[in-house]
Amino acid sequence: MVKKIVLCIALTIGVFSQDAYERNCVECHKDLPTTLQQMFKEYLQTYSGEENVKAVLKHYLRHPSKSISVMSELFIDSYGIKKKSRLNKEELNEAIDIYWEKFKVFDKLK
Amino acid sequence: MLVSKNKATNSLLKSEKKSLLRFLTLYVAMVIFVITLLSVFYYQSQEKLMLSDQRAALSKYAYIQTKRLKVLHYFFDERTTYPRDPRFRSAIYDIEFKKIFSILGDESIRFDEEIYITDQHIHFVKTLDTYYLGTKYLIIEVEDDGIWRGEIWKHIIGYGLIAFFLFMLFGLFLARLFLRPMRDSLMLLDRFIKDTTHELNTPLSAILANIEMMDTEIMVEKNKKKLNRINIAAKTVSTLYKDLTYLTLEQEQENDDETIELHTLLRNRAEYFFILAESKQLKYELDLEDATMIVDKRKFTRVIDNLISNAIKYNKRGGVVGIKLRQGMLMIWDTGIGIDKEKIPFMFDRYMRFNQSEGGFGVGLSIVKKIVDEYNIKIEVESKEGEGTKVVLKW
Repeated sequence: MVKKIVLCIALTIGVFSQDAYERNCVECHKDLPTTLQQMFKEYLQTYSGEENVKAVLKHYLRHPSKSISVMSELFIDSYGIKKKSRLNKEELNEAIDIYWEKFKVFDKLK
Repeated sequence: MLVSKNKATNSLLKSEKKSLLRFLTLYVAMVIFVITLLSVFYYQSQEKLMLSDQRAALSKYAYIQTKRLKVLHYFFDERTTYPRDPRFRSAIYDIEFKKIFSILGDESIRFDEEIYITDQHIHFVKTLDTYYLGTKYLIIEVEDDGIWRGEIWKHIIGYGLIAFFLFMLFGLFLARLFLRPMRDSLMLLDRFIKDTTHELNTPLSAILANIEMMDTEIMVEKNKKKLNRINIAAKTVSTLYKDLTYLTLEQEQENDDETIELHTLLRNRAEYFFILAESKQLKYELDLEDATMIVDKRKFTRVIDNLISNAIKYNKRGGVVGIKLRQGMLMIWDTGIGIDKEKIPFMFDRYMRFNQSEGGFGVGLSIVKKIVDEYNIKIEVESKEGEGTKVVLKW
Protein backbone atom coordinates (compact mmCIF):
# COMPACT_ATOMS: atom_id res chain seq x y z
CA MET A 1 0.00 0.00 0.00
CA VAL A 2 2.76 2.35 1.03
CA LYS A 3 4.58 1.51 -2.22
CA LYS A 4 1.51 2.44 -4.23
CA ILE A 5 1.18 5.79 -2.47
CA VAL A 6 4.87 6.60 -3.01
CA LEU A 7 4.59 5.69 -6.71
CA CYS A 8 1.49 7.79 -7.09
CA ILE A 9 3.17 10.82 -5.43
CA ALA A 10 6.32 10.34 -7.56
CA LEU A 11 4.26 10.27 -10.78
CA THR A 12 2.24 13.31 -9.73
CA ILE A 13 5.45 15.27 -8.90
CA GLY A 14 7.01 14.13 -12.20
CA VAL A 15 4.07 15.33 -14.26
CA PHE A 16 3.74 18.71 -12.49
CA SER A 17 7.48 19.39 -12.57
CA GLN A 18 7.34 19.40 -16.40
CA ASP A 19 6.58 22.70 -18.15
CA ALA A 20 3.82 23.32 -20.73
CA TYR A 21 6.19 22.66 -23.66
CA GLU A 22 7.44 19.36 -22.31
CA ARG A 23 4.00 18.25 -21.26
CA ASN A 24 2.21 19.11 -24.45
CA CYS A 25 4.81 19.03 -27.25
CA VAL A 26 7.77 16.80 -26.52
CA GLU A 27 5.67 13.78 -25.72
CA CYS A 28 4.04 13.59 -29.13
CA HIS A 29 7.02 14.70 -31.19
CA LYS A 30 9.52 12.25 -29.73
CA ASP A 31 8.26 9.52 -32.04
CA LEU A 32 8.62 11.61 -35.20
CA PRO A 33 11.78 11.42 -37.36
CA THR A 34 12.10 15.23 -37.48
CA THR A 35 13.14 16.88 -34.25
CA LEU A 36 11.40 19.91 -32.79
CA GLN A 37 14.55 21.88 -33.47
CA GLN A 38 14.45 21.00 -37.17
CA MET A 39 10.85 22.12 -37.27
CA PHE A 40 11.78 25.34 -35.49
CA LYS A 41 14.41 26.04 -38.15
CA GLU A 42 11.77 25.46 -40.85
CA TYR A 43 9.57 28.07 -39.19
CA LEU A 44 12.49 30.44 -38.80
CA GLN A 45 13.50 30.03 -42.42
CA THR A 46 9.96 30.75 -43.56
CA TYR A 47 8.81 33.43 -41.13
CA SER A 48 12.03 35.05 -39.77
CA GLY A 49 11.05 37.14 -36.74
CA GLU A 50 9.88 36.17 -33.25
CA GLU A 51 6.42 37.69 -33.52
CA ASN A 52 5.85 36.16 -36.94
CA VAL A 53 6.99 32.71 -35.88
CA LYS A 54 4.95 32.72 -32.69
CA ALA A 55 1.85 33.98 -34.49
CA VAL A 56 1.96 31.35 -37.24
CA LEU A 57 2.74 28.58 -34.73
CA LYS A 58 -0.27 29.53 -32.65
CA HIS A 59 -2.46 29.69 -35.72
CA TYR A 60 -1.22 26.34 -37.02
CA LEU A 61 -1.69 24.56 -33.69
CA ARG A 62 -5.28 25.79 -33.54
CA HIS A 63 -6.06 25.30 -37.20
CA PRO A 64 -3.67 22.66 -38.58
CA SER A 65 -3.76 22.43 -42.35
CA LYS A 66 -1.60 20.93 -45.05
CA SER A 67 -1.64 24.18 -46.99
CA ILE A 68 0.01 26.21 -44.24
CA SER A 69 2.37 23.58 -42.89
CA VAL A 70 6.09 24.31 -43.12
CA MET A 71 6.89 20.61 -43.43
CA SER A 72 7.53 18.83 -46.73
CA GLU A 73 4.87 17.00 -48.72
CA LEU A 74 6.65 13.72 -48.08
CA PHE A 75 6.58 14.25 -44.33
CA ILE A 76 2.91 15.17 -44.32
CA ASP A 77 2.00 12.25 -46.54
CA SER A 78 3.87 9.90 -44.20
CA TYR A 79 2.84 11.28 -40.83
CA GLY A 80 -0.20 13.37 -41.60
CA ILE A 81 -1.36 16.61 -40.06
CA LYS A 82 -1.48 16.97 -36.30
CA LYS A 83 -4.72 17.17 -34.44
CA LYS A 84 -6.20 20.47 -33.40
CA SER A 85 -4.70 21.64 -30.11
CA ARG A 86 -7.05 21.76 -27.16
CA LEU A 87 -4.78 23.76 -24.94
CA ASN A 88 -6.15 26.90 -23.44
CA LYS A 89 -4.79 30.28 -24.51
CA GLU A 90 -2.38 30.71 -21.59
CA GLU A 91 -0.93 27.22 -21.83
CA LEU A 92 -0.53 27.47 -25.60
CA ASN A 93 1.25 30.82 -25.28
CA GLU A 94 3.51 29.45 -22.57
CA ALA A 95 4.43 26.37 -24.65
CA ILE A 96 5.23 28.51 -27.70
CA ASP A 97 7.29 30.96 -25.63
CA ILE A 98 9.33 28.12 -24.18
CA TYR A 99 9.75 26.59 -27.62
CA TRP A 100 11.06 29.96 -28.97
CA GLU A 101 13.43 30.48 -26.06
CA LYS A 102 14.78 26.96 -26.36
CA PHE A 103 15.71 27.08 -30.05
CA LYS A 104 16.07 30.78 -30.91
CA VAL A 105 19.27 31.83 -32.66
CA PHE A 106 19.77 35.06 -30.70
CA ASP A 107 22.78 35.03 -28.37
CA LYS A 108 23.83 31.59 -29.60
CA LEU A 109 26.09 32.68 -32.45
CA LYS A 110 29.63 33.64 -31.71
CA MET B 1 26.89 109.37 -78.80
CA LEU B 2 30.51 110.23 -78.30
CA VAL B 3 31.24 112.19 -75.18
CA SER B 4 34.71 113.09 -74.01
CA LYS B 5 35.52 111.97 -70.48
CA ASN B 6 37.12 114.12 -67.85
CA LYS B 7 38.65 113.42 -64.48
CA ALA B 8 35.49 114.23 -62.56
CA THR B 9 33.25 111.80 -64.36
CA ASN B 10 35.83 109.07 -64.44
CA SER B 11 35.51 108.56 -60.71
CA LEU B 12 32.37 106.85 -59.50
CA LEU B 13 29.70 108.81 -57.65
CA LYS B 14 28.51 107.56 -54.29
CA SER B 15 25.12 106.61 -55.72
CA GLU B 16 26.85 104.87 -58.61
CA LYS B 17 29.06 103.02 -56.15
CA LYS B 18 26.03 102.03 -54.11
CA SER B 19 24.18 100.74 -57.17
CA LEU B 20 27.30 98.91 -58.30
CA LEU B 21 27.83 97.45 -54.83
CA ARG B 22 24.20 96.31 -54.60
CA PHE B 23 24.36 94.75 -58.02
CA LEU B 24 27.65 93.03 -57.29
CA THR B 25 26.47 91.76 -53.89
CA LEU B 26 23.35 90.30 -55.47
CA TYR B 27 25.36 88.92 -58.34
CA VAL B 28 28.03 87.36 -56.09
CA ALA B 29 25.32 85.81 -53.89
CA MET B 30 23.63 84.40 -56.99
CA VAL B 31 26.91 83.09 -58.41
CA ILE B 32 27.82 81.45 -55.08
CA PHE B 33 24.34 79.92 -54.91
CA VAL B 34 24.57 78.55 -58.47
CA ILE B 35 28.10 77.20 -57.95
CA THR B 36 27.08 75.61 -54.63
CA LEU B 37 24.05 74.02 -56.27
CA LEU B 38 26.14 72.67 -59.14
CA SER B 39 28.73 71.40 -56.66
CA VAL B 40 26.05 69.56 -54.69
CA PHE B 41 24.73 67.93 -57.87
CA TYR B 42 28.24 67.03 -58.96
CA TYR B 43 29.07 65.57 -55.54
CA GLN B 44 25.88 63.52 -55.49
CA SER B 45 26.41 62.18 -59.01
CA GLN B 46 30.02 61.24 -58.24
CA GLU B 47 28.93 59.56 -55.01
CA LYS B 48 26.32 57.57 -56.93
CA LEU B 49 28.93 56.60 -59.49
CA MET B 50 31.29 55.39 -56.76
CA LEU B 51 28.49 53.44 -55.05
CA SER B 52 27.44 51.78 -58.30
CA ASP B 53 31.06 50.66 -58.73
CA GLN B 54 31.01 49.26 -55.21
CA ARG B 55 27.61 47.62 -55.62
CA ALA B 56 28.95 44.83 -57.88
CA ALA B 57 31.64 43.80 -55.39
CA LEU B 58 29.32 44.06 -52.39
CA SER B 59 26.62 41.99 -54.15
CA LYS B 60 29.19 39.29 -54.69
CA TYR B 61 30.13 39.35 -50.99
CA ALA B 62 26.44 39.22 -50.06
CA TYR B 63 25.95 36.16 -52.27
CA ILE B 64 28.91 34.39 -50.64
CA GLN B 65 27.70 35.25 -47.16
CA THR B 66 24.18 34.04 -47.97
CA LYS B 67 25.56 30.66 -48.98
CA ARG B 68 27.53 30.47 -45.74
CA LEU B 69 24.42 31.38 -43.76
CA LYS B 70 22.55 28.60 -45.53
CA VAL B 71 25.15 26.08 -44.44
CA LEU B 72 25.16 27.42 -40.91
CA HIS B 73 21.36 27.27 -40.83
CA TYR B 74 21.29 23.55 -41.62
CA PHE B 75 24.05 22.72 -39.17
CA PHE B 76 22.80 24.95 -36.39
CA ASP B 77 23.23 24.36 -33.43
CA GLU B 78 26.12 21.94 -33.81
CA ARG B 79 27.92 24.86 -35.43
CA THR B 80 27.47 28.26 -33.88
CA THR B 81 30.41 30.21 -35.30
CA TYR B 82 29.25 33.07 -37.45
CA PRO B 83 31.01 33.03 -40.87
CA ARG B 84 33.67 35.74 -41.19
CA ASP B 85 35.58 37.03 -44.20
CA PRO B 86 38.67 39.28 -44.20
CA ARG B 87 37.32 41.25 -47.17
CA PHE B 88 34.19 42.50 -45.44
CA ARG B 89 32.20 42.59 -42.22
CA SER B 90 28.55 41.63 -41.97
CA ALA B 91 25.45 41.57 -39.81
CA ILE B 92 22.14 39.73 -39.92
CA TYR B 93 18.77 41.16 -38.89
CA ASP B 94 15.35 39.51 -38.77
CA ILE B 95 12.13 40.72 -40.38
CA GLU B 96 11.37 42.78 -37.29
CA PHE B 97 14.73 44.58 -37.62
CA LYS B 98 16.06 42.79 -34.52
CA LYS B 99 19.75 42.11 -34.63
CA ILE B 100 20.55 38.40 -34.81
CA PHE B 101 24.30 38.85 -35.01
CA SER B 102 26.70 41.57 -36.05
CA ILE B 103 30.39 42.19 -36.50
CA LEU B 104 29.89 45.59 -38.14
CA GLY B 105 32.14 48.55 -37.34
CA ASP B 106 29.26 50.99 -37.69
CA GLU B 107 25.87 49.86 -36.42
CA SER B 108 23.86 52.72 -37.93
CA ILE B 109 21.87 50.82 -40.55
CA ARG B 110 19.37 52.25 -43.01
CA PHE B 111 17.10 49.35 -43.98
CA ASP B 112 15.27 51.41 -46.59
CA GLU B 113 18.39 51.98 -48.71
CA GLU B 114 20.24 49.36 -50.71
CA ILE B 115 23.67 50.99 -50.53
CA TYR B 116 24.86 54.04 -48.59
CA ILE B 117 27.85 55.63 -46.91
CA THR B 118 28.16 56.03 -43.16
CA ASP B 119 31.00 57.90 -41.44
CA GLN B 120 33.85 55.73 -42.66
CA HIS B 121 32.04 52.70 -44.09
CA ILE B 122 29.96 51.64 -47.03
CA HIS B 123 26.94 49.48 -46.23
CA PHE B 124 25.12 47.19 -48.62
CA VAL B 125 21.74 45.88 -47.47
CA LYS B 126 20.65 42.61 -49.07
CA THR B 127 17.12 41.38 -48.51
CA LEU B 128 16.98 37.58 -48.41
CA ASP B 129 14.08 35.57 -49.82
CA THR B 130 14.83 32.54 -47.67
CA TYR B 131 15.36 33.53 -44.08
CA TYR B 132 18.34 31.38 -43.03
CA LEU B 133 18.62 31.58 -39.24
CA GLY B 134 15.71 34.00 -39.48
CA THR B 135 17.76 36.48 -41.49
CA LYS B 136 15.70 38.87 -43.56
CA TYR B 137 18.39 41.56 -43.91
CA LEU B 138 22.03 40.82 -44.55
CA ILE B 139 24.29 43.86 -44.19
CA ILE B 140 27.70 43.83 -45.84
CA GLU B 141 30.18 46.47 -44.69
CA VAL B 142 33.48 47.60 -46.22
CA GLU B 143 35.80 50.46 -45.24
CA ASP B 144 35.40 53.74 -47.08
CA ASP B 145 38.92 55.02 -47.72
CA GLY B 146 37.57 58.49 -48.68
CA ILE B 147 39.96 58.89 -51.63
CA TRP B 148 37.07 59.41 -54.01
CA ARG B 149 35.78 62.18 -51.72
CA GLY B 150 39.13 63.97 -51.78
CA GLU B 151 39.14 63.81 -55.58
CA ILE B 152 35.63 65.22 -55.77
CA TRP B 153 36.53 68.11 -53.43
CA LYS B 154 39.60 68.87 -55.51
CA HIS B 155 37.43 69.07 -58.62
CA ILE B 156 34.75 71.14 -56.90
CA ILE B 157 37.26 73.66 -55.51
CA GLY B 158 39.27 73.84 -58.74
CA TYR B 159 36.41 74.12 -61.18
CA GLY B 160 34.36 76.15 -58.69
CA LEU B 161 37.09 78.82 -58.44
CA ILE B 162 37.53 78.97 -62.21
CA ALA B 163 33.76 79.27 -62.67
CA PHE B 164 33.61 81.94 -59.93
CA PHE B 165 36.28 84.08 -61.58
CA LEU B 166 34.68 83.71 -64.99
CA PHE B 167 31.29 84.65 -63.56
CA MET B 168 32.88 87.65 -61.80
CA LEU B 169 34.50 88.86 -65.01
CA PHE B 170 31.17 88.53 -66.75
CA GLY B 171 29.53 90.38 -63.83
CA LEU B 172 31.96 93.30 -64.10
CA PHE B 173 31.33 93.46 -67.82
CA LEU B 174 27.58 93.50 -67.15
CA ALA B 175 27.95 96.19 -64.47
CA ARG B 176 29.90 98.42 -66.85
CA LEU B 177 27.27 97.82 -69.50
CA PHE B 178 24.47 98.87 -67.12
CA LEU B 179 26.32 101.93 -65.85
CA ARG B 180 27.35 103.20 -69.26
CA PRO B 181 24.08 105.06 -70.13
CA MET B 182 24.15 106.81 -66.74
CA ARG B 183 27.79 107.82 -67.13
CA ASP B 184 27.22 109.01 -70.69
CA SER B 185 24.44 111.29 -69.46
CA LEU B 186 26.72 112.72 -66.76
CA MET B 187 29.50 113.33 -69.26
CA LEU B 188 27.08 114.99 -71.64
CA LEU B 189 25.95 117.32 -68.85
CA ASP B 190 29.59 118.08 -67.98
CA ARG B 191 30.37 118.94 -71.55
CA PHE B 192 27.31 121.16 -71.79
CA ILE B 193 28.23 123.03 -68.61
CA LYS B 194 31.80 123.46 -69.76
CA ASP B 195 30.68 124.96 -73.03
CA THR B 196 28.08 127.28 -71.57
CA THR B 197 30.26 128.63 -68.74
CA HIS B 198 32.64 130.11 -71.31
CA GLU B 199 29.80 132.09 -72.76
CA LEU B 200 28.66 133.38 -69.33
CA ASN B 201 31.89 135.01 -68.25
CA THR B 202 31.93 138.22 -70.29
CA PRO B 203 28.32 139.36 -69.78
CA LEU B 204 28.41 138.49 -66.08
CA SER B 205 31.61 140.44 -65.46
CA ALA B 206 30.15 143.40 -67.30
CA ILE B 207 26.97 143.37 -65.19
CA LEU B 208 28.81 143.10 -61.86
CA ALA B 209 31.42 145.75 -62.76
CA ASN B 210 28.75 148.19 -63.86
CA ILE B 211 26.66 147.65 -60.71
CA GLU B 212 29.76 148.43 -58.61
CA MET B 213 30.43 151.59 -60.63
CA MET B 214 26.92 152.95 -60.37
CA ASP B 215 26.49 155.95 -58.12
CA THR B 216 23.65 154.96 -55.82
CA GLU B 217 23.77 158.30 -53.98
CA ILE B 218 21.93 160.11 -56.72
CA MET B 219 19.44 157.31 -57.37
CA VAL B 220 15.85 157.46 -56.30
CA GLU B 221 14.76 154.79 -53.81
CA LYS B 222 12.71 152.89 -56.40
CA ASN B 223 15.71 152.50 -58.71
CA LYS B 224 17.98 151.56 -55.77
CA LYS B 225 15.68 148.61 -55.02
CA LYS B 226 15.73 147.53 -58.65
CA LEU B 227 19.51 147.78 -58.71
CA ASN B 228 19.67 145.65 -55.56
CA ARG B 229 17.59 142.95 -57.22
CA ILE B 230 19.88 143.04 -60.25
CA ASN B 231 22.85 142.78 -57.87
CA ILE B 232 21.35 139.74 -56.07
CA ALA B 233 20.56 138.00 -59.34
CA ALA B 234 24.00 138.73 -60.75
CA LYS B 235 25.73 137.47 -57.59
CA THR B 236 23.66 134.28 -57.61
CA VAL B 237 24.63 133.67 -61.20
CA SER B 238 28.23 134.62 -60.35
CA THR B 239 28.41 132.00 -57.57
CA LEU B 240 27.01 129.40 -59.90
CA TYR B 241 29.42 130.47 -62.60
CA LYS B 242 32.39 130.19 -60.22
CA ASP B 243 31.30 126.70 -59.15
CA LEU B 244 30.92 125.52 -62.68
CA THR B 245 34.22 127.07 -63.74
CA TYR B 246 35.90 125.45 -60.76
CA LEU B 247 34.35 122.12 -61.58
CA THR B 248 35.21 122.10 -65.24
CA LEU B 249 38.46 124.00 -65.39
CA GLU B 250 40.10 125.05 -62.14
CA GLN B 251 40.02 121.89 -60.07
CA GLU B 252 42.85 120.41 -62.04
CA GLN B 253 45.08 123.43 -61.47
CA GLU B 254 47.81 123.16 -58.87
CA ASN B 255 47.09 124.46 -55.36
CA ASP B 256 48.42 127.83 -54.32
CA ASP B 257 48.42 127.24 -50.55
CA GLU B 258 48.98 130.18 -48.20
CA THR B 259 48.15 131.14 -44.63
CA ILE B 260 44.79 132.83 -44.69
CA GLU B 261 42.93 134.62 -41.94
CA LEU B 262 39.65 132.77 -41.87
CA HIS B 263 37.77 135.34 -39.81
CA THR B 264 38.53 138.01 -42.41
CA LEU B 265 37.62 135.79 -45.32
CA LEU B 266 34.39 134.71 -43.64
CA ARG B 267 33.44 138.30 -42.85
CA ASN B 268 34.06 139.29 -46.50
CA ARG B 269 32.04 136.42 -47.90
CA ALA B 270 29.19 137.03 -45.44
CA GLU B 271 29.19 140.65 -46.60
CA TYR B 272 29.18 139.53 -50.23
CA PHE B 273 26.04 137.49 -49.62
CA PHE B 274 24.45 140.13 -47.37
CA ILE B 275 22.16 141.45 -50.13
CA LEU B 276 20.98 137.90 -50.79
CA ALA B 277 20.31 137.33 -47.07
CA GLU B 278 18.58 140.65 -46.77
CA SER B 279 16.25 139.81 -49.65
CA LYS B 280 14.91 136.91 -47.54
CA GLN B 281 14.98 139.02 -44.37
CA LEU B 282 17.55 136.77 -42.81
CA LYS B 283 19.76 137.74 -39.88
CA TYR B 284 23.44 136.89 -39.60
CA GLU B 285 24.78 135.57 -36.31
CA LEU B 286 28.53 135.81 -36.57
CA ASP B 287 30.68 134.41 -33.77
CA LEU B 288 34.14 134.62 -35.27
CA GLU B 289 37.33 134.20 -33.31
CA ASP B 290 40.70 134.76 -34.95
CA ALA B 291 41.78 131.65 -36.80
CA THR B 292 44.22 130.89 -39.58
CA MET B 293 44.64 128.03 -42.01
CA ILE B 294 47.08 127.06 -44.74
CA VAL B 295 44.92 126.49 -47.78
CA ASP B 296 44.35 127.60 -51.38
CA LYS B 297 42.28 130.73 -50.83
CA ARG B 298 40.44 130.32 -54.12
CA LYS B 299 39.34 126.81 -53.17
CA PHE B 300 38.38 127.56 -49.59
CA THR B 301 36.35 130.53 -50.80
CA ARG B 302 34.32 128.05 -52.87
CA VAL B 303 33.68 126.04 -49.71
CA ILE B 304 32.55 129.04 -47.71
CA ASP B 305 30.50 130.51 -50.58
CA ASN B 306 28.67 127.29 -51.13
CA LEU B 307 27.92 126.69 -47.46
CA ILE B 308 26.74 130.26 -46.87
CA SER B 309 24.70 130.41 -50.09
CA ASN B 310 23.03 127.09 -49.21
CA ALA B 311 22.27 128.36 -45.70
CA ILE B 312 20.60 131.38 -47.29
CA LYS B 313 18.94 129.54 -50.16
CA TYR B 314 17.29 126.85 -48.05
CA ASN B 315 16.39 129.14 -45.14
CA LYS B 316 12.94 130.29 -44.12
CA ARG B 317 12.02 133.93 -44.58
CA GLY B 318 13.07 135.84 -41.45
CA GLY B 319 15.39 133.03 -40.34
CA VAL B 320 18.96 133.07 -39.11
CA VAL B 321 22.26 132.21 -40.77
CA GLY B 322 24.98 131.51 -38.22
CA ILE B 323 28.72 131.32 -38.65
CA LYS B 324 30.89 130.20 -35.76
CA LEU B 325 34.66 130.11 -36.10
CA ARG B 326 37.23 128.68 -33.71
CA GLN B 327 40.77 127.56 -34.38
CA GLY B 328 40.32 124.13 -36.00
CA MET B 329 36.54 124.40 -36.33
CA LEU B 330 34.07 126.23 -38.57
CA MET B 331 30.33 125.85 -38.22
CA ILE B 332 27.76 127.29 -40.61
CA TRP B 333 24.16 126.77 -39.60
CA ASP B 334 20.72 127.85 -40.62
CA THR B 335 17.12 127.69 -39.48
CA GLY B 336 15.86 126.41 -42.80
CA ILE B 337 13.96 123.46 -44.19
CA GLY B 338 16.54 120.85 -43.19
CA ILE B 339 17.13 117.55 -44.90
CA ASP B 340 15.95 113.99 -44.33
CA LYS B 341 18.49 111.96 -42.28
CA GLU B 342 18.57 109.17 -44.87
CA LYS B 343 19.48 111.62 -47.64
CA ILE B 344 22.49 113.13 -45.82
CA PRO B 345 25.00 110.53 -47.15
CA PHE B 346 23.98 111.44 -50.71
CA MET B 347 23.90 115.22 -50.38
CA PHE B 348 27.54 115.51 -51.54
CA ASP B 349 26.85 113.64 -54.76
CA ARG B 350 27.18 115.61 -57.93
CA TYR B 351 23.91 116.73 -59.57
CA MET B 352 22.07 115.57 -56.46
CA ARG B 353 19.27 117.96 -55.53
CA PHE B 354 16.66 117.27 -52.93
CA ASN B 355 14.69 120.48 -53.28
CA GLN B 356 13.45 121.26 -56.76
CA SER B 357 11.95 124.63 -55.76
CA GLU B 358 15.38 126.24 -55.62
CA GLY B 359 17.52 126.70 -58.69
CA GLY B 360 20.97 125.23 -59.26
CA PHE B 361 22.71 122.27 -60.77
CA GLY B 362 23.45 120.41 -57.56
CA VAL B 363 27.20 120.77 -57.90
CA GLY B 364 27.95 123.08 -54.91
CA LEU B 365 28.25 120.49 -52.16
CA SER B 366 30.15 118.04 -54.35
CA ILE B 367 32.76 120.81 -54.81
CA VAL B 368 32.81 121.38 -51.03
CA LYS B 369 33.37 117.66 -50.42
CA LYS B 370 36.15 117.45 -52.99
CA ILE B 371 38.00 120.39 -51.47
CA VAL B 372 37.62 119.35 -47.81
CA ASP B 373 38.71 115.82 -48.70
CA GLU B 374 41.74 117.21 -50.48
CA TYR B 375 42.80 119.13 -47.34
CA ASN B 376 41.79 116.33 -44.93
CA ILE B 377 39.14 118.49 -43.37
CA LYS B 378 36.42 116.54 -41.62
CA ILE B 379 32.89 117.53 -42.55
CA GLU B 380 29.86 116.74 -40.40
CA VAL B 381 26.23 117.46 -41.20
CA GLU B 382 23.47 117.56 -38.65
CA SER B 383 19.99 118.29 -39.85
CA LYS B 384 16.42 118.13 -38.70
CA GLU B 385 13.60 118.56 -41.14
CA GLY B 386 11.79 121.86 -40.56
CA GLU B 387 14.33 123.07 -38.00
CA GLY B 388 17.55 123.62 -39.89
CA THR B 389 20.94 122.29 -40.87
CA LYS B 390 24.34 122.54 -39.24
CA VAL B 391 27.53 121.95 -41.24
CA VAL B 392 30.72 121.63 -39.21
CA LEU B 393 34.24 121.59 -40.63
CA LYS B 394 37.07 120.31 -38.40
CA TRP B 395 40.75 120.27 -39.23
